Amino acid sequence: MIEFRNVTKLYPNGCIGLQNATFKIEKGEFVFIVGPSGSGKSTLLKLMLREEVPTEGEVYVNEFSIHDMPRREVPYLRRGLGIVFQDFRLLPNKTVYENVAFAMQIVEAQPKDIRRQVPVALALVGLSKKAKVYPNQLSGGEQQRVALARAIVNNPSVLLADEPTGNLDPETSWEIMNLLDEINQRGTTVVVATHEKSIVDQMKKRVFNIERGIIVRDVQEGNYSNED
Amino acid sequence: MKIRTMKYMVKEGFINTQRNLLMSLASVSMVIASLLIFGLFLMLIINFSYNLNRLKAQMEIVVFLEPDVTQLEADSIELKIKNDERVLAYVKKTKEQAYAELLQIYLEDAEILEGLSPDFLSPSFTVHLKNVDDSAAFTEEISKLQGVEDVSYPYESLKKLSTVLNWINAGSMVVLTLLLVISVSIIANTIKLTVYARRREIEIMKYVGASDWFIRWPFIIEGVIIGFAGALTSFILTSYLYNSLESYVNSHTLEYGISDLIKLVPLGNVSGQIFIIYAIIGMVMGSVGSVISVRKHLNV
Repeated sequence: MIEFRNVTKLYPNGCIGLQNATFKIEKGEFVFIVGPSGSGKSTLLKLMLREEVPTEGEVYVNEFSIHDMPRREVPYLRRGLGIVFQDFRLLPNKTVYENVAFAMQIVEAQPKDIRRQVPVALALVGLSKKAKVYPNQLSGGEQQRVALARAIVNNPSVLLADEPTGNLDPETSWEIMNLLDEINQRGTTVVVATHEKSIVDQMKKRVFNIERGIIVRDVQEGNYSNED
Repeated sequence: MKIRTMKYMVKEGFINTQRNLLMSLASVSMVIASLLIFGLFLMLIINFSYNLNRLKAQMEIVVFLEPDVTQLEADSIELKIKNDERVLAYVKKTKEQAYAELLQIYLEDAEILEGLSPDFLSPSFTVHLKNVDDSAAFTEEISKLQGVEDVSYPYESLKKLSTVLNWINAGSMVVLTLLLVISVSIIANTIKLTVYARRREIEIMKYVGASDWFIRWPFIIEGVIIGFAGALTSFILTSYLYNSLESYVNSHTLEYGISDLIKLVPLGNVSGQIFIIYAIIGMVMGSVGSVISVRKHLNV
């Protein structure tokens, strides 16, 4: 469960990140956040994972209140979130398996749990056969699937994706979006910031349109924009 | 923290140290340089206070009585010394004994003593105290007694030596602080390189929910490894140099016949303490350096 109440984010350089945003995303929802570059999509996601703190208003993610949360609790917030980026952010000197296992090691998971969960996550993204391969031997789509596996291996209740298909060709983008949908079917709340008009239009999910920091539209089963 | 996690941290720490081997070595040599200079001062202090204490322990207080002291006065002074709890032992020397001693000394130039009779000499008590620190008070009290002419005690020169020792102490503290600051900043820079090399890893760790300490530990261990390596090397160097110095000094003091006066502390007596001091300073420098350099990167 994610809730924003009258949230405003101003950056120190005077830029407006988000203006008076109020919304609620229920558990198990799939939400697209769309809008032009610099409109505030990333700010919205950064507020959810507490990379940024709201200037005004209240932000709730799972059981955490982001707006008045001590720094030392941030790791525990993030253990309930899976995060995927446009540029994958894999560790080049670790294999696919190690990259996914790393996410479990650093939250001090039991080795037997790591041995059990990592193959499950890799199977879900269809990369079981590439477990021993290094990221630079994979295509962009495959690398993003590894990143997805890493994001879900700790069974987060929320998955945040910031332009996950920004570096991928249309066909691969569809693969990734379908994977996100599949993850959502299994009960995970998914929030995706994206530019992919055709995908948003076809998937018929809830859509937020952001322009200059303001959420101008919030529709269920919506299109990328109002035009059609 | 779980043992498994600890193993991971130590392993990562060693990997980090190797990754920037050249810079690590540079930091190690800086630690060595600092500790060697510090060690010079440390050994100076240790030897100075060792010799000062030996001197103090050898010091005897000589109580000279007036030449015409009455038997009663002399007895009462002796009684006073005898019953004083601070006194370890004392030797009584009568006029006649003092005269006999002089005769011994000037055996060949007996004419010097012509006209001198035991009556001109003072009887004296030579006193050894249990605790040297009581000397000043004891001297003060005894000199006030009726019939005491003079109490000799090299109090002033001991005081001067103590002052010198204090100055050396203060000086070494200043030097040590300066060296510590320099070494810490050099170690911090070395570790900054590792942190920079691993910034993506740190970022990912932060996003996946690693705690600050989980991220910090491998770097602290890297710093501790650097500090400890430096401490160990400088300990070996110090021991070697000190050993050579010790044998040099001992042979020369024997040659000049002052081996009773100046004596270097045998290395074996202090090597354990020196090693511990070095190791603590080295490892503290290392870990402080790492904490400084990781701090900035934790705010993701």
